[in-house]
Amino acid sequence: MLELDAVTVRFGGLTALSDISFHIKKGEILGLVGPNGAGKTTLFNSISGLVKARGRITFNGTDVTGLPLHKRARAGIGRTFQIPQPMHHLSVRENLAVAQVFGAGRHDENRIDEILAVMELSHKADADAANALALQELKRLEIAKALATEPKLLLLDEVLAGLESNAKRSFMMKLKELHKLFGLTIVIVEHDIETISGLCTRAVVLNFGQLIADGSPTEVFNNPAVVESYTGTAHA
Amino acid sequence: MTDLILQALFSGVLIGGVYALVALGLALAFGAMRIINLAHGELVLLAAYMAYLVESRTGLDPYWAIPLALVVVMAVSWALFVLVDKIKDHRELNSLILTFAIGIILTNAILLIFASDMRSTSSAFLQDAVSFGDLFAMRGEIIAFVLSVVLMGVLWWWLKSSWYGRAVRAVSSNRNAARLMGINPARIETVSFLVAGALASFAGVALYTMSVVQPATGHALTVKAFIITVLAGVGSIPGVFLGAVLLGVTEALTVTLASSALQELAGMVLFLLVLFLLPNGLFGARARRG
Amino acid sequence: MSVTSPATSAPVASSRFQGRGALLGAGLVILALLPLLTGASPYMLGLLISALILSGLALSWALLGNLGGMVSFGHAAFFGVGSYASALLAAKLGVPVLLAIPLGGVVATLSSIAMLPALRLSGPYFALAILAYAQIFRILATELDWLTGGAAGLQRYPGLPTLFGIDLADRAGSYVVVLACVVLFAVVYVLLRKSHVGTALRAIAESEDATRVVGVNATLLKSWMLFLSAFIAGVFGALNAHIIGFLEPDYAFSGVWSVMPIIAAVFGGYRSVLGPIFGAVVIYLFDQVIAKSLIPVGHQILLGIVLAIMVLLAPNGLAGLVRRFFTKGQFNKTSEKSHAGA
Repeated sequence: MLELDAVTVRFGGLTALSDISFHIKKGEILGLVGPNGAGKTTLFNSISGLVKARGRITFNGTDVTGLPLHKRARAGIGRTFQIPQPMHHLSVRENLAVAQVFGAGRHDENRIDEILAVMELSHKADADAANALALQELKRLEIAKALATEPKLLLLDEVLAGLESNAKRSFMMKLKELHKLFGLTIVIVEHDIETISGLCTRAVVLNFGQLIADGSPTEVFNNPAVVESYTGTAHA
Repeated sequence: MTDLILQALFSGVLIGGVYALVALGLALAFGAMRIINLAHGELVLLAAYMAYLVESRTGLDPYWAIPLALVVVMAVSWALFVLVDKIKDHRELNSLILTFAIGIILTNAILLIFASDMRSTSSAFLQDAVSFGDLFAMRGEIIAFVLSVVLMGVLWWWLKSSWYGRAVRAVSSNRNAARLMGINPARIETVSFLVAGALASFAGVALYTMSVVQPATGHALTVKAFIITVLAGVGSIPGVFLGAVLLGVTEALTVTLASSALQELAGMVLFLLVLFLLPNGLFGARARRG
Repeated sequence: MSVTSPATSAPVASSRFQGRGALLGAGLVILALLPLLTGASPYMLGLLISALILSGLALSWALLGNLGGMVSFGHAAFFGVGSYASALLAAKLGVPVLLAIPLGGVVATLSSIAMLPALRLSGPYFALAILAYAQIFRILATELDWLTGGAAGLQRYPGLPTLFGIDLADRAGSYVVVLACVVLFAVVYVLLRKSHVGTALRAIAESEDATRVVGVNATLLKSWMLFLSAFIAGVFGALNAHIIGFLEPDYAFSGVWSVMPIIAAVFGGYRSVLGPIFGAVVIYLFDQVIAKSLIPVGHQILLGIVLAIMVLLAPNGLAGLVRRFFTKGQFNKTSEKSHAGA
């Protein structure tokens, strides 16, 4: 579904991503793992088109490397931001409507209602996004917005961060539900090894902008290089 | 013809010195506060009229007006800062409109007090021609240019070596990091506006001694200063100086080779060319994309 | 804005819209009655016509600022191009005036294509780039004297015609024509703002990246706003040209046409539709009737003071003050709706 071929991103003299190649199969839930500053968000940015990358990014057989942001969204690449970016002065429903009309090219209130219900936001549908929503609701809105564009591939940036373990477990169930309900392929940035093991079918590890491991969660977390990169930055 | 072109180049370089002072004031306030002060040209104009006031009332050489200009212009610049600082929402847009409004107020205040006539120095000493081989200049132009270069040197030293100057640079490069170092940005912004006012004072008096001024000059100066910062980026003093000289030379050549009606057009076309063809300015990198 | 209805959850949006519609209607009725209210003297009518021309221009400026998120310091460019284009089409090609006026808007729109590269620029850079265009157009109009008559100006071109027995060139007739255009564009503005495009533009103003990432082509939508704004400004330039009957570059491209709409729109509240329209009427009459008699030369100082005070004390303009007055006592959320005024 998504193929990365030697993707490289430089900011001035700094290499944020170097020569990343892997591919994601339809229907996978892929965990993207790595210490802070490893390049996970930059990878999301280059897939969604926020930063220009060298190399080749192919999505569903078409080369999207040169496509602008909005065209990639319309092609079916949806994403969330680690810090939610709602359109504050728009109501929750308007947030989704904009995403749907421009991202999916149609307007369907029933579908919006469905997404609102799944993301447990129905009761806040007509409230202003910024004023009426708590942080966790903003995070759910962030996902709802991406879903409204009717993506095939969904990139989730640390959506589970800051949740205590029960909430985390139920949110994991929610993600699995979304995966099935909307027939999604998901890439999720996550630090927690248990979460990755419970949620993902595969994990990819980045460190210092390089891909250091790729495989099933069990394989990956037993890989000495991964263990070292994690203990080295006091994460595990 | 070659003579004319050389003479135009020479005059362009001389006016470029004063343009650079004007642009540096604008760049300084922009660096500290991230706002474009659209009344900056009017501050320069105010200083020029202080020079006219002193010369016409006392008969003294206009350079004696510098202390008065410093007091008046720095006071106005400080007041301007206080007002701009009151803006809380949509800062970029509202500060643009506010400083624009203050520019209108200053221009019309000057119009009310001094009328719309063109003013220039009547000092025979300053208007005397000095020759350098085949090139000619008024003595006032030479003095103004030398003064500008000296002031740029002083500013350079101040930014590089004094604690306030370092703090100004720290705030313009990273506000929050500067704050973590214990710098109070509000204080630095005040200082920047005062220094910008001081530069405007010298620039205005110098302008009066070498050229003509009228109330509409202020707005034109703001635009020129802005063009120069686009040419140069706001990063370095030598860059601003080169940008200013480039603008001065372009204007002078346009007047010599085409007509004085096209002088402003030349600056505008230069501005658009650089903006679209060299989005990072002539000499350096800076972000201006939305 | 829900001025009267206490906000209940679901129908908020629609009642808000109805309230806004009613207010807009009431405002436009007031404009229609204005000549009668002010005694209908020819002098007053003349002033009101000019005021409404400015209303249209201020509306066009505010549309670009509010929906497009761009500050223009050069609306004189569109105004001047529209006026020259329409006058020349009518004079040289014999195009009927009522067709030449919208064509003036079209030519102004075409001229704005030259400004598309400026859309990539942020805030002050865009504002000054558009000012540069205005200067260039003014100088072009002066230099291309075979076409425009140069600095000497243009005088022999037709005025507004007689339509269905009504002489539109007559002051009352002209007032109706200009008013009709203001109403037309106000309605277009309201519909546009209510549409998905309008919502997307508001979203872009909040966070451009977050909006693009859901599939919105921000640059394209902003270009449309530039085109529409240029069209509206061009139409009012054209109207003005046919009403006053002479053109010269220093007049048609005068900085006044760039400055006055800013003052009018900020004074009235540039985030609303009625704000710029009424702001222009109030500001223009204040300037011409009061300020000019107090200070014959330099009367713009009062406009500068008004503008500074408004930015500092009431950045949402008259419309914001009116809204604050009506929503006082309601719960705070409605007053946060600063983007959604009438």
